Amino acid sequence: MRRAARRLVLPFAALLAFAPLPLASLEWPVAKRVVTATFGEDRADHFHNGIDIGGGEQDVHPVLPGELVFGYEENSGYTSFPRGVGSFVVLHHGDDIESVYCHLKNGTVDAGRTVYGLSDRIGIMGDTGYSEGTHLHVIVRDEESASYVNPLSLLPPLADAEAPVIRRVALAIGDRIHSLASGQLVPAGRGAVLAEIYDPRVDVKFLWPMAPYSVRLSVDGKEVSKISFDALHAVAGRTVLRGTRLAATDVYTADGLVRCGEIDLRPGTSHLLLTARDFAGNETSRELTITVRD
Amino acid sequence: MRKKRAASGFIAAIAVIILHFILFPHPLGKELVARPAWAINLPPAESLPPGGRSADPGGEAGRFATFQLGELFGFVSPSGRLLHAERILFRVALSQRGFVNYTRIGSDWVLRDPGGERLFSFAGRGYPLASADGNRVFVVKTDLTGLQEVDGNGEVLWSRDFPSMLASVSVERDHLLAGLLDGALELVDATGAAVFQSVPAGSRIPVILAVAASPDGLHLASVSGIDRQWLIVLGKKGASYAEVSRTVLPAEFRRELRLAFSPDSRYLVLEGDGMAGLYDPASRRLSWIPLGGALAGASFLGTGRAAALLGRAGSTWRLTIAAPPSSVLCGQSFRGKAAFVGSLDGQVLLAVDGRLLRVDVEAM
Repeated sequence: MRRAARRLVLPFAALLAFAPLPLASLEWPVAKRVVTATFGEDRADHFHNGIDIGGGEQDVHPVLPGELVFGYEENSGYTSFPRGVGSFVVLHHGDDIESVYCHLKNGTVDAGRTVYGLSDRIGIMGDTGYSEGTHLHVIVRDEESASYVNPLSLLPPLADAEAPVIRRVALAIGDRIHSLASGQLVPAGRGAVLAEIYDPRVDVKFLWPMAPYSVRLSVDGKEVSKISFDALHAVAGRTVLRGTRLAATDVYTADGLVRCGEIDLRPGTSHLLLTARDFAGNETSRELTITVRD
Repeated sequence: MRKKRAASGFIAAIAVIILHFILFPHPLGKELVARPAWAINLPPAESLPPGGRSADPGGEAGRFATFQLGELFGFVSPSGRLLHAERILFRVALSQRGFVNYTRIGSDWVLRDPGGERLFSFAGRGYPLASADGNRVFVVKTDLTGLQEVDGNGEVLWSRDFPSMLASVSVERDHLLAGLLDGALELVDATGAAVFQSVPAGSRIPVILAVAASPDGLHLASVSGIDRQWLIVLGKKGASYAEVSRTVLPAEFRRELRLAFSPDSRYLVLEGDGMAGLYDPASRRLSWIPLGGALAGASFLGTGRAAALLGRAGSTWRLTIAAPPSSVLCGQSFRGKAAFVGSLDGQVLLAVDGRLLRVDVEAM
């Protein structure tokens, strides 16, 4: 049943890349749900492969009933290499679904337990590993497609009335970056549209700009590019957005702007429409009219 | 008359046997004996200044062993000269060539030599990892999805992401063997290319719990799976590797285990439940040695003639010297908060609380 549901969800996500997924098959792992980082966020050289939840120290429960596959305790466990996720637990849920709970507080995981029901405590939210505050980093893996799946596509929806923000729209042509404003004159050629785009939440003071769910770029009414943070997987040694060849360094510039897409700039006037959407369906658009010089 | 002749014959036979032992004495086999060579006091970690305390290496430069005991790490010479001692900031990437003593949050790291002098710096949003000889330095991504290697100038040589999160890593010379949480093994060469991939089968839940690559490059070993858990050894066959043995393990773990080849590649040591397994790739035989606790450290002496195995049960430790594959030569229990076992000049280096000692295992 769950496998069937998942098989429906993932292609559905691919088909409706810009619609929030209606199906919620997982449970929230904590009672106080303050999402402080979203899936696909810029982490300099990689995408954020799960979501972060704050809200202070609290019990962490599994997103589905599951079985312990792997656990690590930061101060006492043996490891052959350094683990930035701190103390963590990996649960197997059958049907090739696994979930990972990172940065757990040391000493709060029951070393003897191997089977977890929804009401069982995995541990307490902590600040272990490469972490700048108490939070839970939750990862959901679809082992069948070897992908990290956006947990927000499978968790019950959260109330969110704030639309994403689009700022600092720019055009990169060769090595030059032109700030874009409506009516601006730009040279001909091929250029990349860049913008600062993030999804604000009223209850979060940001460490990182949160990624929206999707970004679309249209030119003269025709969609030329779309980025949606549905799933990540590794292809030839690079983690990319599933269904694309876009790695984190392709999607984000060094200073955190989103590369929204590339366009051909032909002499004349063009209308650019940039749209960002979050998981609750809030949308923001930015329209620009540019004139390309002969 | 007949009785008298039989008695004479018996006496003559005994005399011949005695004469044989007198004329052709059979030498007794040598026994391995463990004896302490020296012991020194270690400074309390909290008493050391930032950057640690260093000493002149004297005539023993280049012959140091590393040690790590609780919050303290350092380098010591074969004669017991403490070359460097420093308090660990968060973790330390420790190698023969030097160390990176790093903080919990950061992205700019410095490799220092055993005397504490800067060798080179490098950047990366992740934690540093050094091979045992220190000739290869990596940065492991914070989310365990990949790593990158840096050169002696701190430049990134290559970067590689894996299909799943890293569960275990073994670096030997030109190769890095990665074991992944999805149950796959990837062998990566010095350019970052995957040269061999394998998914050990035979378990209800696939997962890799430990990996080890042999220094001679001829064997790869892994502990994999839940329900059933296997020790699988692969042998080099042409440009690839093929399974040479598969052993069901008696206890199932759901965490990373200690698994390592001896420096001469002749033996593999494996963590078991209150035991250490010693596997001989030549005979494909796995023997278990009781430790009285969990395997907390292991080192091989000389060219693999003996293994020093450290077991721990709470604050009770037991050092067992074993001759592979299965002979226990001697053992000693002691109590302490922290202990460490390593090797120094082919002998045992043992640290317990504030003491560091060298134990020589010799044939007598």
